[in-house]
Amino acid sequence: MVVLDQSNVRPASSRTDARCSWVQIVIFIVALVLFFVPLVASASFGFSLPGQPFTLDSLALVGRDSAFLPGLLASIQLAILATLCSLALLVPTLLWLHIRAPRLLPVAEWLSVVPYVIPAIALVGGASLFFRAVAPGFLVSIYSLVPFYVVLALPLTYRSIDAGMRALDLKTLYSASTSLGAGAFHTLWRAILPNLKAALLSASLLCVALVLGEFALASLLLHSTFPVYMVQIGASQPRAAAALSFLSILGTWVILIALSLATRRSASPRTSRTKHASLKVGKE
Amino acid sequence: MTTVSDSPSDIASAEAQPSAQPTAAPAEKAGRRPRNLSRLIDWLGLLPFLAFVGVFLVAPIVVNVWTSLTPKGSFSFDAIGKLFAPQYVDAFASTINLSVVTAVAGGILGLVLAWALVTADRPRWLRSLVLSFSALASQMGGVPLAFAFIAAVGAQGSITVMLRDSTGWDLSDNIRLSSFWGLALVYLYFQVPLMTVLILPAFGALKKQWSEAAMSLGASRFQYLRDVVVPIMWPAVAGSLLLLFANSFSAYATAYALGGSQLNLVPMLIGFFVSGNVMLDESFGAALVTGMIAIVVAALSLRSLLERKSRRWLS
Repeated sequence: MVVLDQSNVRPASSRTDARCSWVQIVIFIVALVLFFVPLVASASFGFSLPGQPFTLDSLALVGRDSAFLPGLLASIQLAILATLCSLALLVPTLLWLHIRAPRLLPVAEWLSVVPYVIPAIALVGGASLFFRAVAPGFLVSIYSLVPFYVVLALPLTYRSIDAGMRALDLKTLYSASTSLGAGAFHTLWRAILPNLKAALLSASLLCVALVLGEFALASLLLHSTFPVYMVQIGASQPRAAAALSFLSILGTWVILIALSLATRRSASPRTSRTKHASLKVGKE
Repeated sequence: MTTVSDSPSDIASAEAQPSAQPTAAPAEKAGRRPRNLSRLIDWLGLLPFLAFVGVFLVAPIVVNVWTSLTPKGSFSFDAIGKLFAPQYVDAFASTINLSVVTAVAGGILGLVLAWALVTADRPRWLRSLVLSFSALASQMGGVPLAFAFIAAVGAQGSITVMLRDSTGWDLSDNIRLSSFWGLALVYLYFQVPLMTVLILPAFGALKKQWSEAAMSLGASRFQYLRDVVVPIMWPAVAGSLLLLFANSFSAYATAYALGGSQLNLVPMLIGFFVSGNVMLDESFGAALVTGMIAIVVAALSLRSLLERKSRRWLS
């Protein structure tokens, strides 16, 4: 995650004096406590029962529920499909634009930010209106969510891949490779994609995190994904919902930490253009 | 939107060109493609992307706006006008209210946290721990966050029960999570760290020389703040507040999972409309969506204008 990058936040040591440093420490501790309260509470609520300090009963209950596994699998499937579709759409398009038609880059970039401005709840309103009129059967399939997830992730995935390509000198790479006799496919597979590994990985992680947490579209288009399942059991089994929430928050954190490692390890320091690439994941 | 509607006509005109080309072609140097053909090929590579975004993003929005403006097949503002019925004005007002409250409160607290992060470097591990968790918490939201809060301060939540057992005071009687203030409390969980994360680069860009220059010219701390920091920082701060506003205005999952569907909020109304729980005419549902898009687009456009302004100093 770009925002974890601390290099641009220099501590202004001249302003720090012993007189006020305890104020900051108090602020830090209060912030940390408040960050952790809901998490600790959901863990303790989800993994305990009156009289039993630690139990996995609530999870076992969920495991026996016939709707749990299909929901989870549907979310994982959607995450994989949306990620593959995003890469299949963006990598060729952006390679084309960078190598052949940089003139058109602003057009694509402008379009890629539009979903950032359109709330998911507004997109689902427009989508159901449009597709019910044009192709009534389309929204019935759960896989109809994939293209919308690709669109919702576009501001994140586009920027990651675009930044990765900008950091490379693609034109030189391309002509060097072709002048050594490599075909276009060979160049792509052996020279360009290996250099884009970090960018592709961070785009994929962002897309996966977004899809696994997405609720508005899935619920309003009546598909049962993992978040939809959680809301369904929330009323009847609050402990199971709390346990699942705790686990899925931890899961999201693992993805985001992997993301920050992936971007930090990439040789190219990200430009300020990508600063906000990680915002708005998993919440709509 | 203009670029999209322009592009097909661009392609069409480029397509029309080559047929008129043969007469001009001999004049071109052999082996050099005519300019128009090359342009056409440039666009061809972008075509799959344009088609995808066109079908799954632009068309739904355009159709939605179109439907809201043509309630009975002809152009009129009837549907948009219905938004001004008291019930819906109230929905927009309370959504804006919620967004302003959480943006301003989150903004102030986020600024305090950012200030602490920038000025403190003593316990380094504590500072970087807070920074990392701010980044993580700013990304939270949706269903899991809602249930985490229900587990903490809901009617049967851990903290509620703990307080009830030890003091007899019932927290959940005073803060109901499905109420306006309950929702605001939960939103603050991600709004505060989001503000911190957004504003930190601006804080970091304040040059140390500026404060030294001001102090050596005899300025007091307050004068430095008033005459240097505030004029430089305000566009960045205002821009971040606008993002927080839009963030909370468009939140649906968190509010829904908290039981906020009893609240008269715009995202909830749109949800009712889409899932078909309420009998409404199509054009009015579309008008609700159009109204929401208009507000979010206005906030974020203003933000990008302010960002341009703040880039002059903070780059």
